[in-house]
Amino acid sequence: MEVTEKNMREIIEGYDRDQRYALAIMQDMQRIFQYVPREGLELLAEYLGCPVSALYSMATFYKALSLVPKGVHIIKCCDGTACHIRGASTLIEGIARELGIGPGETTPDGQFSLETVNCLGSCALAPVMVIDDVYYGKVTLERLKEILSEVKKGGGGK
Amino acid sequence: MIEIQINGKTCTCEPGEFLLKVAARNGIYIPTLCHHEGVGEQGCCRLCLAEVVERGRSRIVVSCVFPVEKPIEVYTDSERVRENRAVVLMLLKERAPESEEIARLCEEYQAIDGSRFKALDNEKCIMCGLCARACQSLGTGAIATVGRGTGKKVSTPYDEPSKDCVGCLSCARICPTGAIPYKQDEKERRIWDRSFTLVRCESCGEIIGTREELLLAAERGGREPDTLCASCRQKQMADVLAHTYGLE
Ligand code: SF4
Ligand code: FES
Repeated sequence: MEVTEKNMREIIEGYDRDQRYALAIMQDMQRIFQYVPREGLELLAEYLGCPVSALYSMATFYKALSLVPKGVHIIKCCDGTACHIRGASTLIEGIARELGIGPGETTPDGQFSLETVNCLGSCALAPVMVIDDVYYGKVTLERLKEILSEVKKGGGGK
Repeated sequence: MIEIQINGKTCTCEPGEFLLKVAARNGIYIPTLCHHEGVGEQGCCRLCLAEVVERGRSRIVVSCVFPVEKPIEVYTDSERVRENRAVVLMLLKERAPESEEIARLCEEYQAIDGSRFKALDNEKCIMCGLCARACQSLGTGAIATVGRGTGKKVSTPYDEPSKDCVGCLSCARICPTGAIPYKQDEKERRIWDRSFTLVRCESCGEIIGTREELLLAAERGGREPDTLCASCRQKQMADVLAHTYGLE
């Protein structure tokens, strides 16, 4: 959805004017716009009657919220102990080669973001990678290429 | 009412009262950094350690957030307290190597050597959050803690000058380590990347605050902005009273 004042207001006004909904509203923005836009944060502060700093503090605290647009597809590459030993760093390097992004970055075309996580709880499948909530286990560099092109074509993931 | 012993002295308190407060009321000093009356307890600097002995068992507690519930024996300067405090201070110093206050405390309480750690560069802040709290309660909530973990810091939203800031210095004044920089000359005050015009007392010329700060106080109090400093205002009031009662 496009980031417009109307769309942002629609999300915000779906909730009561109560500061305890701040997080839920920002999560909605994140889901719908792939980030929490600055204007959204400011509109929300006005709506809830709280300082912008309080919302900014929350938005920077939670990893699930981002202040810059995230990619349409989010790659979560596990770099926990088991995955690390089984070659997570090679995988992360592979992603850097394929897509030109490192952890925390997004491709210029806005298609992919890469995040590393500390354990996905599927150590038996190490190294594990999750793209848009689909798990890929025992990923090799070869398999990585295939997965990425599947996701690009709209096959895997979203 | 509970009776406790602090360094051998009998002190009384209500159940649930924080140990630091009970000690202070009885004239027993415990060093603190992140404690400040009126903004709530943070319990983050760990400088206010004390040793609590209960049924023969001794433990170290953080006195500013330790609620006294039972009759206990407390020692604020025992061997154990001194040892622990020396470590805490060393860690604080590595975190905020530029703070003069921390350096002074390290000296006073003989902090242990911390050279095996890499001190942060150019840092004075211990991330206690007092400034953000003060800004919220006394000011306008212009600053808050930003981020998390080792990258956490105090800042305005987007690290830009905040339109909410009124330049009241609540944050800089409350900061225990002198970590919030500001500049002030005859006419202007600069803080958080913004400048504020200073207003002076119409009678004695003393600085009474920034224009924005006085306007905010006036708006909150539903009155006209102050034009006099506190002491001139008092004097004026006294004069008015004297006049009313014909005491001139
Ligand atoms: S700037 Fe000062 S008051 Fe604010 S968090 Fe840091 S040490 Fe605490
Ligand atoms: S004063 Fe108690 S933890 Fe800082």
